Amino acid sequence: MRQTPVYIICSPRPLVGKTLLARLLCEFLLLKNGEVSAFDVNLKEPSLLDFLPKITETAEVDDTVGKMALMDRLIIPDDVPKVIDLGFHAFDEFFEMTEEIGFVKEAVRRGVAPIILFVGDTDRVSARSYPALQRQIPPSALVTVDNEYVVRGELPEAFARGKLLRIPALPNFLKTYVDRLTFSFTDYLRQERDSSTELHQWIRRIYFSFREMELSLILQGS
Amino acid sequence: MAKPAVIVVGADKGGVGKTTVSRTLLDYFSANNVLTRAFDTESPRGTLKRFHPDITEIVDMTTTSDQMKIFDTLNSVTPSVTVIDVRAGLLSPALASLRDIGFLDAAKSGQITFAVFHILGPSIASLDEIAETSSFMTGARYFLVKNFINDTQFFQWDQATYNSYFHRIKDATDLVIPKLNEMAYEQVEVASVPFLKFVANKGISDEAANYSFVLRGYVRHWLANVWSEFDRIKLTDIVGSGKSSTRGGEK
Repeated sequence: MRQTPVYIICSPRPLVGKTLLARLLCEFLLLKNGEVSAFDVNLKEPSLLDFLPKITETAEVDDTVGKMALMDRLIIPDDVPKVIDLGFHAFDEFFEMTEEIGFVKEAVRRGVAPIILFVGDTDRVSARSYPALQRQIPPSALVTVDNEYVVRGELPEAFARGKLLRIPALPNFLKTYVDRLTFSFTDYLRQERDSSTELHQWIRRIYFSFREMELSLILQGS
Repeated sequence: MAKPAVIVVGADKGGVGKTTVSRTLLDYFSANNVLTRAFDTESPRGTLKRFHPDITEIVDMTTTSDQMKIFDTLNSVTPSVTVIDVRAGLLSPALASLRDIGFLDAAKSGQITFAVFHILGPSIASLDEIAETSSFMTGARYFLVKNFINDTQFFQWDQATYNSYFHRIKDATDLVIPKLNEMAYEQVEVASVPFLKFVANKGISDEAANYSFVLRGYVRHWLANVWSEFDRIKLTDIVGSGKSSTRGGEK
């Protein structure tokens, strides 16, 4: 049975590159599938909604109504991939709720595949949050993101044992370039003739990592 | 035939969650394949009857005819477990009536299993009921139920007061009913179905329903916690039923 992927991009820390990763993943899924639904639970940080307003809607997990509005959508196996950009302030509340309502177990039962992309950092809050995620999320669905722009050096060993998605660091001038609200990764790939540019290779490398992640998901589901 | 068991759920104070606890008991017995009948003393309209209409009868416990309906049939009906949801203010008078008709003596001599779930409210008046009720409890299993469904506190912040009430009765057992998300509770109310059916996403007549996945998750989690309390006190053993290996709700 084909599973509907739900990618939850999260970290208990601000400014670690969650929204950048969400943008990349949304654009990749749009390129590959033609459709994606994105949810921005990120109102206190730079927002996915600002970058991809056509496919993104805001969501809240502060109260039960907000949780229902979000989770009752995520649990539907409609073949439309979903991406959640989960702000650091909502991290604890969201995962306490998913544990309490048995989200992962019910999702699997219904043919929905949650994939947690945990953006790792070297601080104590991240170190404390990761084991809590491990208790709830099966290893096959928990991916640590090593954003080399944020983590200068090695990721803590505890994070590096499971599945890993590496985001190579971009030079500052390119980082500023891709952070423009009007910038599109896929458009850049299509329009830039020179495939040897650093940005071109960076995007293609990350898209390739996403393909690998999807492939492992298909293999798990088969 | 199994020894009949009577479980009285009551409090002298209103709004402390008697019917909620009765509903969790009926769900628990249903999931454990223990045939149960229930009496709702909220005459003439019963809340328990609304959620469990098939097994619940509304009675007026102050009348002799209805007392006969409950207690004279204990040995003759198939469900050996009887749950009585006693209306607010009627617990002490009901227990007095049971004493007067010799029911408490029968429990004391082991002919009948008798358990009281005394639902506590947050006030000193409610706690004072413990002393009053406990005088009837010889031969009965007495459970003091702290129902946190209304964010109630039970004087844990004042240890002296807490001890003076909760440690007064030697053979009483504490039970804790955790808080259920308000919206989930309301949605079950609106649906008018047992908690188990709500979790299973079913309507009154077992038809497929469309309850929120989130709210069902909250109810499932809460119900599991409540049932683990019932497991802790070995409730199915108390009512004389061997527990099945798989609960209905866990299938």
